[in-house]
Amino acid sequence: MTRKSNGRKPKTARRIKARPDAASTTKQDALASLVAAGAQALALPIDPAWQAGVRFYLHLLFMHAALVDDFPLPDETEPAPVFRA
Amino acid sequence: MTFRCLTKPSRHRCSVLETAAPDFAWSNAADIVAAVGGGRASAVSIVEATFARIRKRDPVLNSFTAVTEQRALARAQAIDASRARGEPLPALAGVPFAVKNLFDVAGLPTLAGSKINRDAPPAAGDATLIGRLEKAGAVLVGALNMGEYAYDFTGENPHDGPARNPHDRSRMTGGSSSGSAAAVGGGLVPLALGSDTNGSIRVPSSLCGLFGLKPTYGRLSRAGTFPFCTSLDHVGPMARSTHDLALAYDAMQGYDAHDPVCVDRPIEPVTPLLQRGAEGLRIAVAGGYFKCRSAEAIAAVDRVAAALGANRDIEIPQAELARSAAYIITATEAASLHIDRLRSRAHDFDPMTRDRLIAATMLPASLVIKAQKFRRWYRTELLRLFAEVDAILAPATPCIAPALGQQTFQIGDVELPVRANLGLYTQPISFAGVPVVAVPVPLTPLPIGVQIIAAPWREDVALRIAHTLEVLGVAAAVRPQEN
Repeated sequence: MTRKSNGRKPKTARRIKARPDAASTTKQDALASLVAAGAQALALPIDPAWQAGVRFYLHLLFMHAALVDDFPLPDETEPAPVFRA
Repeated sequence: MTFRCLTKPSRHRCSVLETAAPDFAWSNAADIVAAVGGGRASAVSIVEATFARIRKRDPVLNSFTAVTEQRALARAQAIDASRARGEPLPALAGVPFAVKNLFDVAGLPTLAGSKINRDAPPAAGDATLIGRLEKAGAVLVGALNMGEYAYDFTGENPHDGPARNPHDRSRMTGGSSSGSAAAVGGGLVPLALGSDTNGSIRVPSSLCGLFGLKPTYGRLSRAGTFPFCTSLDHVGPMARSTHDLALAYDAMQGYDAHDPVCVDRPIEPVTPLLQRGAEGLRIAVAGGYFKCRSAEAIAAVDRVAAALGANRDIEIPQAELARSAAYIITATEAASLHIDRLRSRAHDFDPMTRDRLIAATMLPASLVIKAQKFRRWYRTELLRLFAEVDAILAPATPCIAPALGQQTFQIGDVELPVRANLGLYTQPISFAGVPVVAVPVPLTPLPIGVQIIAAPWREDVALRIAHTLEVLGVAAAVRPQEN
C-alpha cells in the first residue's frame, strides 16, 4: 500500500501502517526465522523464490491479528463456531 | 457430427445444433418460464439457443470451463414431454443455468478454479443445489470459471485465463465467482450459482452489474461444493433481476443433512412477498468505515438511499476489525484445507494463492481463536442494530471494474492494492453471516453495486428492497453493448 503525502487516510490504512515496529529489521528477521522454522516443522517445502512473498503475507496476517488481539473481550466469550454433540 | 466446442481443446465435446429459437439472450428466467409454459418456446429451443450463444460469445468472455450439452438437452426434452402430456410445469421450467466450477457436477472433475483438481476423479453426483434447481425445472448447461480455490476478488485465473467483464472486455469481472458474473452479465444464461466467503458473489455482481444474493450463513446447502473456509462459506444465486434471484432462492431452500452448517428451518418462500415493496421498512446507510470516498460508490449509495428515503446513518461497530478477523479466519482455515497440496504440489498453485496459504499455516492458533471470539462479539453487536433498522445500505465495492492486470486503485487520497481490497466492504458483512442482496446501479460508463443488508433469516427484507429499487429504475442489469 502506498500513501500520498497529503490528506486524511482511511482508517484501515492508517491503523495497519501505524504500528511502530511493523517494518523493523528485528521483526523482519523474526518473520524469516518463523517461516524457516515453520516450514521445517510442518514439512512444507518453500522454494527460495517464494520466501519474500510468504514473509509479506505472514507480516500482513500478523498486522491484522494484532488489531484483533488488541481488542478487549471478556474471558467468557465463546468462539463463534459451536459444536453440537 | 461433433466438434470441439468453445475455445479450449480440453473442453468437452458438443454436438452441433441448429438454432432457430427466438432470442432469449436477455430474457429473465421468469420470462423463459412463461414462454415455455405458454408454448411460445420449447425448452429444447431455449437450451439450443443457449449453447449457440455460448459458442459465439464465450471465446470472448471466457466464462465456461465445461458445458453439459447432452445432459441439458435430455432435461429440456423431458420438460417439453411433460408439457405435452399436460402436466403442470415447475417454477423454473426450461431456465438454463450454470454453476461456478466448485459445485460438483456428475461426470466432471470439480476444479474449484485450480490446476491440481484437474487430476481429481469426476464427481459421482451433483451438488445439492443443482439437484434442487433441476427439480424445479431449471436446466444445467455447464460449469464456470472462477478464481483459484475461491481465494480471489479479481476473476483472474492463471490456469483458465481471466473471465472478462461483459461491459468492457479489458476489465475484471471481479471474483471469485467470475465466470458466473460473466455468463449472466454477458447474456449467456439468465441464472448462475456462485459462492461467497468474503464477497465472491457480491464483488463480481457489482463489477458486472448484476443482482446477487448471499443468503444467511447456514440457509442454503453447500453439500457437494468444494470448500474454501467453512466458517464463512456461503452459496447463492446471481441473476439479472430480483424476481429471478427469488425464484432460484425459493427453489434451493431447505434443510440438508449433508451440510453440517445447514440449519433446519422451514422453507420461507420470498417470491410472493416481493410485491410488498419497501413500504414501512426502516432503512439506514452504513456510516464510518463504509463511508467510501470514491465518486462511483458514493453516487450509487446516494442514489439508492434517496430512492428509499433512507436519510439516517448507522455505525456498524468495529467493522475494520471484522475485516481483519475475517482475513485471519479465511487464510488459516484455507491453509489447513490445502496443507497436503502445499506439501506435494506447491508449484501447481497460483503463486498469489500459494504464498498466502503457506504464510497462513504459520499463524499461531491463539490468534485465530481470538478472531473467532471476536466474531461472536461482532455478531451480537451487529444484531443489536436490527432492533433499530430493518436494513442497512453499504457500497458493494470501492470502485467500478478495474482493468485486467491492474495492481492498485485510488480510493480518496489513498492507493490500495486491487486484489486485497475489492472486498473492503463485503468482508465485514459476510463475517456476521447476515443476508445481503447486491443490486446494480447503472452508472456511466460502468455499473457498481450497493449492498442491502438485512437481519439473519430476513432475505425477504433485502429482496423486497431490491425489487423496489428495480421497479423504481434505480437498480437494473443493463445489457452490454457487445450483445
